Amino acid sequence: MDLDAPHSMGTTIIGVTYNGGVVLGADSRTSTGMYVANRASDKITQLTDNVYLCRSGSAADSQIVSDYVRHFLHQHTIQLGQPSTVKVAANLIRLFSYNNKDMLQTGLIVGGWDKYEGGKIYGVPLGGTILDLPFTIGGSGSSYLYGFFDQAWKEGMTQSEAEQLVVKAVSLAIARDGASGGVVRTVTVSSFSL
Amino acid sequence: MVGKNCFAIASDRRLGVQLQTIATDFQKIYKIHDKLFIGLAGLATDAQTLHQKLVFRHKLYQLREERDMKPETFASLVSALLYEKRFGPYFCQPVIAGLGDEDKPFICTMDSIGAKELAKDFVVAGTASESLYGACESMFKPDMEAEELFETISQALLSSVDRDCLSGWGGHVYLVTPTEVTERILKGRMD
Repeated sequence: MDLDAPHSMGTTIIGVTYNGGVVLGADSRTSTGMYVANRASDKITQLTDNVYLCRSGSAADSQIVSDYVRHFLHQHTIQLGQPSTVKVAANLIRLFSYNNKDMLQTGLIVGGWDKYEGGKIYGVPLGGTILDLPFTIGGSGSSYLYGFFDQAWKEGMTQSEAEQLVVKAVSLAIARDGASGGVVRTVTVSSFSL
Repeated sequence: MVGKNCFAIASDRRLGVQLQTIATDFQKIYKIHDKLFIGLAGLATDAQTLHQKLVFRHKLYQLREERDMKPETFASLVSALLYEKRFGPYFCQPVIAGLGDEDKPFICTMDSIGAKELAKDFVVAGTASESLYGACESMFKPDMEAEELFETISQALLSSVDRDCLSGWGGHVYLVTPTEVTERILKGRMD
């Protein structure tokens, strides 16, 4: 096995809005080539109190982008005098991804809650597009979930329905995708958690 | 893995196409006769073809010699068949295990062009082979009885495949003594 291969998070990541907030979900497998380097990694990182990020693709690239954005969001929060909006966080992520598209290989999902728009999910795939969506999926395991979400997704779910949907979806992808595995981690952000 | 007058041979159950899992109950260990088993890691189509060819050759041998093949002889047969395709090989790594004369356990493995590796303790093959070497080296003890051998080989298999993206979905273990063959399915991580 090539233990010097770059760490990649094969991954399954999901972001879903519900009536009152968002649920983010991810698997926990980080692989170097085909070897499982970390079977309990945490791919959902905190950007601010109210915004979280799901990371996929190159582990190094996604970590560095999230570190930079967390730093700038912190400054922004101080200057603004109130919590940053999810839209600003997502756009910062997008600007990094787009302006460094030659060098970065990371697909990201930004999710959080703010008082202006409530629960929001933004997808920022490879290349740096920003997509404002009610739900989005990413990572190598997501290929197996498009049909599932076509059937199972509905508008205005409760928190518990959304959480169950995310856990079920990540589990299904883990079963089929060799690059996803370990445990299912979820983060739920709503006005009540802040 | 070799035990006291017995052996165990085990495999995982996943069949995949690169990262996608296609089947979770795929048979990789084949019986040649009651005291001889061969496990085939690698490309599924080559494993199936090799198995068919080996069964054919063994049946012919049985007709002519009026007895089963010894494991040592069978290993030489597999090696010869693989080397015939030296410049266009079968993409398979066999693991052979059997009870020979006086029910003495015999194990060996080969690369895909038939280089035999004999061992007294354990042999491994497949995408998780490096992990398996580590696990077996640390868990193996000589002269284990059948039940303890089963536990050891099962733990070595499951802990190694759990660290490999391309292996998994449980295990299939055959425990062979001079008097009986026990086949067991292990429940493992399904990722």
